[in-house]
Amino acid sequence: MDDKGEAVVCATGMRKRFDGVEVLHGVDLQLWPAEVHALVGENGAGKSTIINLLSGRLRPDGGQIEFRGAPVEFRNPLAARRAGISVIAQELEVVPTLSIVENVFLGVEPTRHFLIRWAEARRRVVEVLDELGVHATPDRIVGTMSIADQQLVEIAKAIVGQFRVLIMDEPTSALNLAETERLFKIVRRLRAAGVAILYVSHRLWEVFDLADRVTVLRDGRKRLTSEIVLTDVDSVIHAMLGDKSSLIVGADVPRREAPSIGQATAPALELEAVDSGEVLRDISLNVRPGEVIGLAGVLGSGRTELLEAVYGLRTIDKGTMKLSGVPTKLTEPKEAIRHRAFLLPEDRKLEGIFAHLDVHENVILGFDPANDEAGQPAVAGVDEQAAASRRRRGLAPIQAQAERRAFDAMRKMLSIRCSGPYDRITTLSGGNQQKALFARAALSHPRVLFLSEPTRGVDVGAKEEIYSAIDAFARRGIAVVVSSSELGELLRLAGRIYVLRAGRIVAQVAAETTGEGDILKLMAG
Amino acid sequence: MIRRMLAADSAAAVMALIGVFVIFSSINSRFLSSLNINGIVVSASISAITGLGMTLIIAMRALDLSVGSIMGLSAIVVAELLSAGEPLLLVIPIGLLVGVGLGLFNGLLIVLLRLPSFVATLATLSMILGMELLITHGETVTIHNGVLNRMVTGSIGYHMPAAAAVAAVVFGTVGLIFYRTPFGRHVVAIGGDIRAAIGAGINVTRVTIGAFVLVGVCAALSGLMAGAELQNADSTIGAGAELTAIAVVVVGGTSLTGGRGNLFGTICASVLLAAIKAGLNVVNVSSLYEDLVFGSILIVALMVDGLRRGTRRKGMLVV
Repeated sequence: MDDKGEAVVCATGMRKRFDGVEVLHGVDLQLWPAEVHALVGENGAGKSTIINLLSGRLRPDGGQIEFRGAPVEFRNPLAARRAGISVIAQELEVVPTLSIVENVFLGVEPTRHFLIRWAEARRRVVEVLDELGVHATPDRIVGTMSIADQQLVEIAKAIVGQFRVLIMDEPTSALNLAETERLFKIVRRLRAAGVAILYVSHRLWEVFDLADRVTVLRDGRKRLTSEIVLTDVDSVIHAMLGDKSSLIVGADVPRREAPSIGQATAPALELEAVDSGEVLRDISLNVRPGEVIGLAGVLGSGRTELLEAVYGLRTIDKGTMKLSGVPTKLTEPKEAIRHRAFLLPEDRKLEGIFAHLDVHENVILGFDPANDEAGQPAVAGVDEQAAASRRRRGLAPIQAQAERRAFDAMRKMLSIRCSGPYDRITTLSGGNQQKALFARAALSHPRVLFLSEPTRGVDVGAKEEIYSAIDAFARRGIAVVVSSSELGELLRLAGRIYVLRAGRIVAQVAAETTGEGDILKLMAG
Repeated sequence: MIRRMLAADSAAAVMALIGVFVIFSSINSRFLSSLNINGIVVSASISAITGLGMTLIIAMRALDLSVGSIMGLSAIVVAELLSAGEPLLLVIPIGLLVGVGLGLFNGLLIVLLRLPSFVATLATLSMILGMELLITHGETVTIHNGVLNRMVTGSIGYHMPAAAAVAAVVFGTVGLIFYRTPFGRHVVAIGGDIRAAIGAGINVTRVTIGAFVLVGVCAALSGLMAGAELQNADSTIGAGAELTAIAVVVVGGTSLTGGRGNLFGTICASVLLAAIKAGLNVVNVSSLYEDLVFGSILIVALMVDGLRRGTRRKGMLVV
């Protein structure tokens, strides 16, 4: 365990296919004791697949994983955990209604004569909590703790399990700066204790701050493994992106010049020196009808909060917000919708789709039979009152034929792939679910569309279709605000990109003249 | 302030219990008579035993609607065996085995067919009732066994019937299982967040079956006691008992959303409901009002549960 030369985990030629498509093309990875090994790459590069292979959540289709010198094949996460590989997933796996000690020992309770020895369990948890710097009694109910503390409960779970390998998947995504610092201290202490840590992150500054080695993935292949001191941000960024930047600026992608409809009219959305809550400070931005703007920033930079603020989910404490030139104060999303601003949330499953309904129902929820030429939303001059009164609601009879026409039009326009309108929405792929949500939004004749991570969980082919859909929205004169952690996506879609850092807009860049590397640097500060 | 008091899970049931005793005894002192108290305790013990098992089921975010029919079947099996001359020492374990078997069947249905427990146990409820009718041909079987009767109604001193002792033993056992065995904690974990439970390596299948076996045994014991008290058995034993069982769990402060369970609250609520029933009788309210009153109590309990959950969720804005 202390010999640096002896790898704890030695994976060679890991391959994985999903539905016949290979997503991991033979990746090697070695984890040494007492090292923090960063794994970076864009979304879809194969990071999660590697985590799942190492932790027994998936089985490799090729290659071999050696653990402490012997080949292993973990049948399930428990087997990996028993062997000493612990995963802190992005979505925490704690039981919110149980106490700290119950969570930490869940599944590995110390017992004598079938009874749990709570006294011993508590004693050990107190030790571990002390070590982690959590000030809470072992009997605290986990659901009442902050996300950062809940994460430490998961780490405590790993520590009592005597793990040798700790895999952390974007552990800082929900943490603020102080919490991140505290986590780093803990990670360093674990490293000093001989643990091998695989640290998966988007945030390059974290990687360079914390890691000893870094492995970069792109498109399911390893592009770089290096001691961190022997490389630099530019090389890592280059390994992450490859020659993709030239592809983005390539001629085949239609670039949006200054939109003609927009120029004369007022911005569809305008923020002036807006403060909101404890996060957002002095935010000024505008987006004109027919324009797509991007919001870039690391997780926790305030991107999500900004969208929530303009959608009425957060109060704006200072500054003004104008929708189509009219100063507006929103207290609820309902009011944003009345102003024809719509948000497509990043967590479709939680907030977007109605899982038990079919595609058709999911799409036509937003249908307005007042305008039966579906897919041809009027840009201006719609009699909103009349339209609203005829919208599908209450006991008004459903206009089945009009709805069906609208649905078919949308299905064609966005090429939603389903075998029929009565497929359950959950049987569709992520990309097609997302398109269905786009269709729903389109049927509501939006003026402003807020998109949060529009292609998360969407496969590569569907991505381009979603991009075209967004282009189509913009051509119709809709103002689109895209918030995304994928810079390539922002550069592809937006004319201008606002870069956020720590709740402030630190730069506004034109997509034509900027590369991903520049934006990454601005994001990291 | 009120919310904070309610947040102590069983506080509401305890306060209501005290209130009920004060009100009824001040209206009619006969409420506190030894006979009346005895009746309350026997009936509370019977519903508490099933309720204790049901607490685990609800903590696991499941439901068992078949407990009432399990009560009936075990009472009928015991009655038939006793009239066939089998010895009591053999008959009681067989009665409990009926509960084990039916609980196992419920559990297997739920995990093998992936049925929601609500639906699976609704089906078994009907099946078991049918079995009862087939065994008894729709008639009542009398139980002539003084020993069995005394094991429920016989005094153990302090004006307490033996049923209280049985309930106390079950409370202790289920309490130990629930709070101090991995199985008990796994039940709660499954109800709290099944994804996390699976991630922690909990065998959800085994725990689910175990919990349904446990509630089956509890229900069988309750049925046996109900038969022993009445000295006869037919398919009306346990009729509607599933609702009582769910009511005592919820009134006792266990949330229907799962993830926590309060056994002490279940005991308090069992006494509360039994006391209200006896109290209405003592103050000469027609027993026709009973169901109406119980339903209202259940609504209040569910409201309290909703309020309580509202408090917990506060601060975690669901966006």
